[in-house]
Amino acid sequence: MKNILAFAFMIPTFYFFGWWVYWGFPTGLPGAPGPAGISGIEYANAIAWGWGESAQYMGPNIADQASGVFFGAFALFAATTASIMSGAVIERIQTVGFIILAVVLGSFAWVVAAAWGWHADGWLVTQFGVHDFGAAGLVHAVAGFFALGVLINLGPRIGKFNADGSANHIPGHNMPLTITGLMLIIVGFFGFLMACVIVPGEAWSWFADKPSTIYGTPITLSALSFNILMAVAGGIIGAWLLTRDPFWMMSGALAGIISTASGLDIYFPAHAFIIAFSAGLILKPCADWLENRGIDDAVGAVTVHGTIGLYGVVMLGIWAGGYPALQGAAGEAPTISLVGQIVGAIVFFLCGFVPGYIVSYILKIFGMLRIPHGAEIAGMDLVKVPAAGYPEWGGDAPVTPAHPAE
Amino acid sequence: MFPYSEASWSVVDGAMFIGWGTILPGVTTLIAAAICLAVLVIGQRSEAAKTKGFDK
Repeated sequence: MKNILAFAFMIPTFYFFGWWVYWGFPTGLPGAPGPAGISGIEYANAIAWGWGESAQYMGPNIADQASGVFFGAFALFAATTASIMSGAVIERIQTVGFIILAVVLGSFAWVVAAAWGWHADGWLVTQFGVHDFGAAGLVHAVAGFFALGVLINLGPRIGKFNADGSANHIPGHNMPLTITGLMLIIVGFFGFLMACVIVPGEAWSWFADKPSTIYGTPITLSALSFNILMAVAGGIIGAWLLTRDPFWMMSGALAGIISTASGLDIYFPAHAFIIAFSAGLILKPCADWLENRGIDDAVGAVTVHGTIGLYGVVMLGIWAGGYPALQGAAGEAPTISLVGQIVGAIVFFLCGFVPGYIVSYILKIFGMLRIPHGAEIAGMDLVKVPAAGYPEWGGDAPVTPAHPAE
Repeated sequence: MFPYSEASWSVVDGAMFIGWGTILPGVTTLIAAAICLAVLVIGQRSEAAKTKGFDK
């Protein structure tokens, strides 16, 4: 239910103001125009509001076949960030509090990171040469560390930790369904990442005849196919070596993709495999480290998306030094560097953690974050959902009241 | 490093991955293959050790 609602609120709020934030603030505050001439508050006011003259770009327009598609891709990234947080906080968060957090994350926090680290006028790109093609940092790490900020204020599920600090494993109720879901995420990744390719010949295209990344650097679908497949494989193998657990193996597949996402356009496939393998290896120890500090991340989202996301951003800095980060030549365009990627990683961490912590703290003060103890013991399905998820178990099925006698 | 003498995307007309023109692709392919092999060896040993415990 949380995920369905998060999606439903994410789309309109991203339409109302998220899209405007992306175009308005690549250069930071106060929203001055950047060198590419496609950013700043004035530009955003002209193309990203749903009223006035700007509305022509925010609805059906025979002369504009691309804006809605580009908006749609970004809106789905927004929904993805909320979905990442959703898993971490299950079984004890209030619905409205969660949706507020989802909107702050999906229609603001990650959008700021995208404006700074993805937009061709973004200050992280133009000043530090940050390159994050597949959004390891600006989607995954932002969402993962936003979730961490929320988890600190939300606290662990009842029964997760014992008095001596040891942690109980609370298994999901259906491992095959869990694995099927994780496999579907892998399938979705192909669409997610290939949608990051700017096709040629459209209004937003960099080129008339060749596809490019959002930075205007060249890319091919072939590169993505090679590298995504090798990364999935490397992550699974790394996680299997350490855990033998199908949940962590499929999480390893995600970690494999996320760890290479920043450079899927320029990694060699075997290189991507090795990086993904290392991500699969460190995955479970990183999750255990977090758990040992009292953080109850029910699905490992902070580690899979946050820690591994930053790992991927920094890895590209180690290997891709000297590559122009934007269309053009080194000197005219900034180049990728280890320092630049580390700066990017720190900024992405802060873009996620700070708003996640602050907003969840405010919600906690107003009693809108965590459900009451009794309701948590009863279970979210029973308390929140007037439908039986597992009718074969029996229990209190909802009853439609009879019409009063006329 | 950028695999062309001029660090500019405008001169790229072929392979553009990290390490193109160096031994890196070959080395990483070798390491990736070695990882697959090593993991299988380790996996076989540990699984054999575990399954022996049930063979009484």
